[in-house]
Amino acid sequence: MAAATIVARQGLRVIVMDEQQRPGGQILRQPPRAFGVRGWLDGRTYRGVKATLAAFETEPEIRWCGGRSALGLAREEGTFVVHAAGMDDVLRITADRVLVATGCYDLPVPLAGWTLPGVLAAGGVQAFIKSQQFVPGERFVFAGTHPLMLVIAAQIVTAGGEVALVAFDQSRTRAAAPLLAKPWTTLRNIEIFASAAAALMTLRRHRVPVRYGMPLTAITGEHQVSAARFDAMRVECDRVAMCYGFVPQSDLPRMAGASTIWASPAGGWRTLHNEWMATDVEGLWIAGETAGVAGAAAAIEEGRLAAFAILRSAGKAPDTDLPAKQARRRLARLQGFTNLLADVADPGAVLTRAVPEDTILCRCEDVSFGSVSAALDETLAPNAVKLLTRCGMGLCQGRSCEPALLRLIASRSGDKIGSAGGFAARFPARPVQIGDLIQPASVAATATISSEAID
Amino acid sequence: MNGRITHHVTRGAKLSITLDGRTLDAFEGETIATVIMALSSPAFRQDSRGDPRGLFCNMGTCSECFVSVRRISGPVRRLRACLTPVSDGMVIETTGGYDV
Repeated sequence: MAAATIVARQGLRVIVMDEQQRPGGQILRQPPRAFGVRGWLDGRTYRGVKATLAAFETEPEIRWCGGRSALGLAREEGTFVVHAAGMDDVLRITADRVLVATGCYDLPVPLAGWTLPGVLAAGGVQAFIKSQQFVPGERFVFAGTHPLMLVIAAQIVTAGGEVALVAFDQSRTRAAAPLLAKPWTTLRNIEIFASAAAALMTLRRHRVPVRYGMPLTAITGEHQVSAARFDAMRVECDRVAMCYGFVPQSDLPRMAGASTIWASPAGGWRTLHNEWMATDVEGLWIAGETAGVAGAAAAIEEGRLAAFAILRSAGKAPDTDLPAKQARRRLARLQGFTNLLADVADPGAVLTRAVPEDTILCRCEDVSFGSVSAALDETLAPNAVKLLTRCGMGLCQGRSCEPALLRLIASRSGDKIGSAGGFAARFPARPVQIGDLIQPASVAATATISSEAID
Repeated sequence: MNGRITHHVTRGAKLSITLDGRTLDAFEGETIATVIMALSSPAFRQDSRGDPRGLFCNMGTCSECFVSVRRISGPVRRLRACLTPVSDGMVIETTGGYDV
């Protein structure tokens, strides 16, 4: 949003495409237009990103293309082609320059019972609350390593829902160690810690237990979740929200051939970039979690830097030296906090724990740990495991199973995670009906197009 | 269960949809996922083992929430429930196989 606003103001033609109907990303998953919500996300931490959203939404030169999924990104005859799937058709959008800011998703952590209806990604729960103004269950258990779950649990009880337990996998000492080791970074970001502290107080007021050193071992239930099991305890609930950190959405840069590297500690592929957020594919920039999970404030700064470089490559040369320097200074400051949070939330210990052989690893193709383990006796190449077992071959294109599979491979080979590469990123990044691809409607980012073509 | 937050919130117009043969009320702006999750069972499909499966990510990434959707006119489409707003007269089929 930050990048689009800057380049549109300088006269470049911009199409912004998003899977959601309205702009704002996951951080500002807006309520539908038909809803009215008083005091929506009015906390301090949302202020900066809300200002960015307001500027974006009032910029008349940006063509908003909501409710469409990017299926692929490729270079054809000197221009980029993005296929964009909507509910009824596919558009073929061409552009000279592309910025990918596809964000991140909740790290999936396979364990016994995690495919039962009622097991949700914590980020998904939060999106229901933020956007749909809906608490998607009666009684929640939160389990994970990431402190964001405190905030989401607090949002549930504030909205009138029930949270039975918030269970951190790591011990309190382990969670606090990085904060104590980096006291200056902690103090500099005290506002963010204050919001976590406020969430803790809300939870205490609603008598929600928050426990540390309490790993979730299994989820049980018949047709849906009925309990979460911990080593020494069983907690009845109808929803389990998993919160073990976030991994970058990197399908599009990978498909376009941009270099990526395994993001530690949570995992996923982060796309490599230079100091102007340019990838090693000419004409392709990135911003936000695509470059590594760092939060909305960092994404905005990265978007600004990319926008300055895009303008320069388009022959527009506003004086951006000073704002670029300022953006980099703010980014450097945010980086310290990003590293600290990643350390606190490190899910490494969870992901190396043994799970029962029949636990599903690949949710789309129902491939168990047992089958994958047998395949790993034959080969340690991710694509070969995929061919042998169908793990990663389903509708999600491996997004749910790749982090866990690559960890298994690394534990067998003794090499670093991701050093054997990952699944080949292939078109389409999202499922699409073949008929829609046969005759896509063409739209050029540089051409003036009628709004009906986009709406 | 219901789960819709009403304090300080107004929803869009009331709509009527059909889910697995049952007529249900929904509100303009709601996603299919919300309507299904607001019922007592959150199953969206059955897997190859015959086990019920639910939505996971609620942001278009995991593909667990595909359902069959027909609007008043037009063909049946397979769409992600978490990204698809309901419309009046929409007919939705899950393959959850359990009473919703």
